[in-house]
Amino acid sequence: MATHSITLTVNGAKEQVDVASNWTLLQLLRDRLALTGTKNGCSAGECGACTVLLNGEPVNSCLVLAVEADGANVVTVEGLAHDGQLDPLQQAFIDEGAVQCGFCTPGMLLSARALLTRNPHPSEREIRQALVGNLCRCTGYARIVRAVQKAAG
Amino acid sequence: MLSRPGLPSFDYVRAGSHDEVVRLLVTGGPDVRLLMGGTDLLVRMRDGVVRARTLVDVKHLPGMRTIAYDSAAGLTVGAAVTMNQLASNADVRAHYAILAEAASAVASYQVRNRATLGGNLCNASPAADTAPAVMVLGGRLVLCGPEGEREVPIDEFFLGPGKSARQANEFLTAVRLPPPRQGARGTYLKLGRNREGDLAVVGVGVLGSPSSEVPPGYAFSIALASVAPVPLRATAAERLLAGQKPGGAAFAAAAQLAAQEARPIDDVRSGVAYRRAMVESLTRRGLETVWRGLSAASSGRGR
Amino acid sequence: MMGRQVEQTRVVGTSVPRVDALEKVTGAARFTDDLQFGPDLLFGRVVRSPHAHARIVSIDTAAALQMPGVRAIITGADTPGFIGLYLRDRHILATDRVRQVGDPVAGVIASTEQAAEDGARAIRVEYELLPGVFDPFEAVQAGAPLIHPDLGSYDVASFLYPRPGTNISHHFRIRKGDVDGAFGRCDTILEDTYRAPQIQHVPIETHVAIARWEQTGEVTLWSATQSPFAQRSMIAAAMGIEPGNVRVIGNYIGGGFGCKAGVTMEGLAVAMARRVPGRPVKVRLTREEEFFCSFVRQALVAKVKIGATREGKVLALQVEYYWDGGAYTEYGTNITRAAGYSSTGPYFVPSVMTDSYCVYTNNPTGGPMRGFGMPEIHWSIEQVMDRLAEKLGMDRVQFRLLNCIREGQETVSGMTMHATGLSQCIKRVAKDIQWGEKEPPSAPHKLRGKGIAIMWKAPAMPRNAASEAWVVFNEDGTFNLGVGGQELGQGSFTVAAQMAAEVLGVPMDRVRVARPVDTRYSPYEWQTVASRLTWSMGNAVRAAATDARKQILDLVGRCWGETPADLDIRNGEVISYKSERSVGLDKLVICGLSMPGDRELIGGPIMGRGRFMPTYVTDLDKETGQGTHGMVHYTTGAEAVELEVDTATGQVEVLRVAAAFDVGKAINPELVKAQIEGGVVQGMSSGLFEALRLKNGEPLNSSFVDYRIVTTLDAPQEIITAVVETAQDDGPWGARGVGEHTMVPTAPAIANAIYDAIGIRFNEMPLTAEKIYLALAHKA
Repeated sequence: MATHSITLTVNGAKEQVDVASNWTLLQLLRDRLALTGTKNGCSAGECGACTVLLNGEPVNSCLVLAVEADGANVVTVEGLAHDGQLDPLQQAFIDEGAVQCGFCTPGMLLSARALLTRNPHPSEREIRQALVGNLCRCTGYARIVRAVQKAAG
Repeated sequence: MLSRPGLPSFDYVRAGSHDEVVRLLVTGGPDVRLLMGGTDLLVRMRDGVVRARTLVDVKHLPGMRTIAYDSAAGLTVGAAVTMNQLASNADVRAHYAILAEAASAVASYQVRNRATLGGNLCNASPAADTAPAVMVLGGRLVLCGPEGEREVPIDEFFLGPGKSARQANEFLTAVRLPPPRQGARGTYLKLGRNREGDLAVVGVGVLGSPSSEVPPGYAFSIALASVAPVPLRATAAERLLAGQKPGGAAFAAAAQLAAQEARPIDDVRSGVAYRRAMVESLTRRGLETVWRGLSAASSGRGR
Repeated sequence: MMGRQVEQTRVVGTSVPRVDALEKVTGAARFTDDLQFGPDLLFGRVVRSPHAHARIVSIDTAAALQMPGVRAIITGADTPGFIGLYLRDRHILATDRVRQVGDPVAGVIASTEQAAEDGARAIRVEYELLPGVFDPFEAVQAGAPLIHPDLGSYDVASFLYPRPGTNISHHFRIRKGDVDGAFGRCDTILEDTYRAPQIQHVPIETHVAIARWEQTGEVTLWSATQSPFAQRSMIAAAMGIEPGNVRVIGNYIGGGFGCKAGVTMEGLAVAMARRVPGRPVKVRLTREEEFFCSFVRQALVAKVKIGATREGKVLALQVEYYWDGGAYTEYGTNITRAAGYSSTGPYFVPSVMTDSYCVYTNNPTGGPMRGFGMPEIHWSIEQVMDRLAEKLGMDRVQFRLLNCIREGQETVSGMTMHATGLSQCIKRVAKDIQWGEKEPPSAPHKLRGKGIAIMWKAPAMPRNAASEAWVVFNEDGTFNLGVGGQELGQGSFTVAAQMAAEVLGVPMDRVRVARPVDTRYSPYEWQTVASRLTWSMGNAVRAAATDARKQILDLVGRCWGETPADLDIRNGEVISYKSERSVGLDKLVICGLSMPGDRELIGGPIMGRGRFMPTYVTDLDKETGQGTHGMVHYTTGAEAVELEVDTATGQVEVLRVAAAFDVGKAINPELVKAQIEGGVVQGMSSGLFEALRLKNGEPLNSSFVDYRIVTTLDAPQEIITAVVETAQDDGPWGARGVGEHTMVPTAPAIANAIYDAIGIRFNEMPLTAEKIYLALAHKA
């Protein structure tokens, strides 16, 4: 099986890595780059725990081949805060109690980040639609929705 | 058998040209699969349902990611255009709203960032959400093969679950839609087990437009997803509507006919009786929705 | 029991932010699969039975051993020991026969996960099929295939009663009062059968375990577990080693809900690691495996007969529960017991006859899930109560107020009920849902209805389930709080930190919860189950902090020549109300204090320790199920639902849920409300969507594609939460647990609301749109 040398930018840092054809972006992030904030919940694009931003748009990193990310800009949960300053969404998730077990949280944050970037003042329904691909088993979603509303101001 | 923890081994090839894709398909046979969004292919490879030695990535080839609209020629959608691209494209929303609606009914936002129109159609799944929309819009599929390009009307494309008119040595490059019918209104209604995000238990696409070709003055097209081995045109229902004055009684009768035309199966998602009943419910609701739009437009013109 | 005075508190009772939130929003929180082991790490994959019941004829590993990367293979011969929490009825790997689809048969250790998987696929197992049984009611009939012929030889807890020679692994009985006579005095009797299917917990993090067998013979297990200590003892027993040589490290857990309690797949990692000493071996369940290879919630067939007088007093109840325990019932047996001793639901019923059977089938193994049998039995109880009220022409809320259990009444198992705010909860949710008022539906094709359900649940555990805690200080006056309970999202670390901060008079930011839980360094905790941490671990934490506080005040008192009663700790400083002197904790908690004058040093590092064990719990009689204090206490609550049914599709939209629970004392009110919201939605998900579809024991929907759970858009538009506080005598600050309880009444409340909307009753969960639509069509 062939390997591919790819370069990509992850959370602002340029990375050059060799990846096997069958590696997913999720494997690259977790197993090679040790960015374990991105979670593996189903490997099937159903739960959203592995959501990252690929060129600014949320994707399930379990359904993107690592080699497909050649040249791309990737943002994971580890890259949301800047200069020690939390993203307003991260702060809102803390303040609104939107975190319980925390396993869905990174994916939720990135889906929500992308939503607020494309639609800074979403309605509750738009928030719920944007997060329909992020399963949470702990919170019942209410506080997550509220946190996104709060971060939207 | 249980799914693997990760993907099995394969080689990834990023195709440099249309010709290279065809050459790989010809030489590699069934071991070669085309990679578009991967949201279905990669899942099925992990499940072991699909085996491939080589994945050929075609989505960056010229034209694969572009949407071109011309009021005279209609719409050309590159096969690798994503669902989110379709759903947010101004031309699609203005002239082919049912397609935008169907595209945004697919799975989740993340999946729609990867899933492509071409992939959705080429999987030839009876549950493909975009199929009913493309069917009622009269779409044609552009296939590229050793002999060059050919176009296949979508009504002739689906042959069975997972089977289509695409030959093993061909790949889909674009979907062409004729210019929109004047004053057309359409809707795609999807019923899943969840409000959104699920596969279609039943999907119904309805398109209506003013037409001088049929006595009632309005023509309706209806297509169904997830209720037959292939996405299906409800032709008997369409014929009935071509001969009756639009309204509650005609819609109810047409919806009943559509339900009879459906050939659903029992599976883990739903049973035959419910699927058939939902074809009726959704067709009726779809016709009424479309009719409200058409009526509003015509009364608007009357003023 | 002594009465309890309301205490003034500063930290307890306030909604401080979670102590783990910052880590979790930045991706820094380490879950078990996130731990880094470098190139040393090996991977394990498991060969699982495709058959529900079969004899293993042979296992051919020759080809697999030749595969690149494969290091070793284990089979049942490597794991002869038995394992199980209450009943040792399983092996880590099947030895002679498989009893469910997914039963582990062999394990492959390899250098990569893919190589291990390829190796597993190269193993050839020959089976001889055996007849299976897939329904618990059929499994108890004479002539049913016997799934555990050796049941009589298994080790079993003293309070369980297996019946060797049958598929019944436990039979719990209640014989209370003269049931026949009581039915004779009833004006209305109702009899019906209710069913709940297997469902799965669906934590977003699947099970994962990494084990390393040290050259010394010690073994370290990193696992995503609710039960580090129980895993230590169970795995040690199964592997024939000393518990002291097993060290279990439990990091943050990505959701448990019971499926990560006890041991399921973790023994596999340990057994594999034994073959490759010194090398860590990781085993991780795929999502597909997670659906049926750890625990599922047991299915239940409940036969209920209940009678009341025309005045509405319930007099008699007779129930039979047939629990589908699946292939192994090592844990499920105790669910059967808990269901039996709670079988009246939160009602006073003078005469009761209950037979609760735990039954082996060839379905996936049942185990604990949020509520531990209560959601399943309340599904029947709360619908039956609704129907009784209707038959009697009584309001459903009033009927519940009339019959719900009150302080001083005798419970079904013979305990005198303690103080409970159940009536308050009922009244509160009725008010919040505007009971009695009927809004018109939002569209002509929709019907609107309201429903209510109430609940109770006691922690189900052995009498000796203990908690231990410690407090040690750092030189800056901050302190480390040692607990052995796990943080699986419920907020246990936060609540524990609040309690310790309260006692020690320091702000929250001075507390460090010692994590991860590590059986070598952490204090003992039986398991993180049964909603028992706030209460049981809380008692231990309070005791440990109180112990440290006493040492501190004694030390300062001695140094200052004052009595400890005049001293207090405020904001990290010891102060004297008498002399108005003060000294920072940082000045004394490690190095002690100098006595005035001769400057003799006194004191030294302060270490507080605390423990708790509910020593007052009594046994229940084998024949009657009666005992004076068979369980510690019951948490009670109520939920009311307003919903709409779309008659054209059968879809249900839950508009509002009102929920009220009596938690005794909310240590952190927002965390309590968060538990309620999450439980309501999980309960709703089970009521409307979830069932593991089984065909002859084979799961048909073991993936998220076809096992759907509630998403953002399905969740209720509004959840109105209320916290009732009737102090619990044996709880810290009066607190009792609430984590599981919140999902118990949701499904029956929804069923009752659907009945209110469309006039149709459903006896089997889940109430899918399809089921509702077809019933509506049938009725029309």
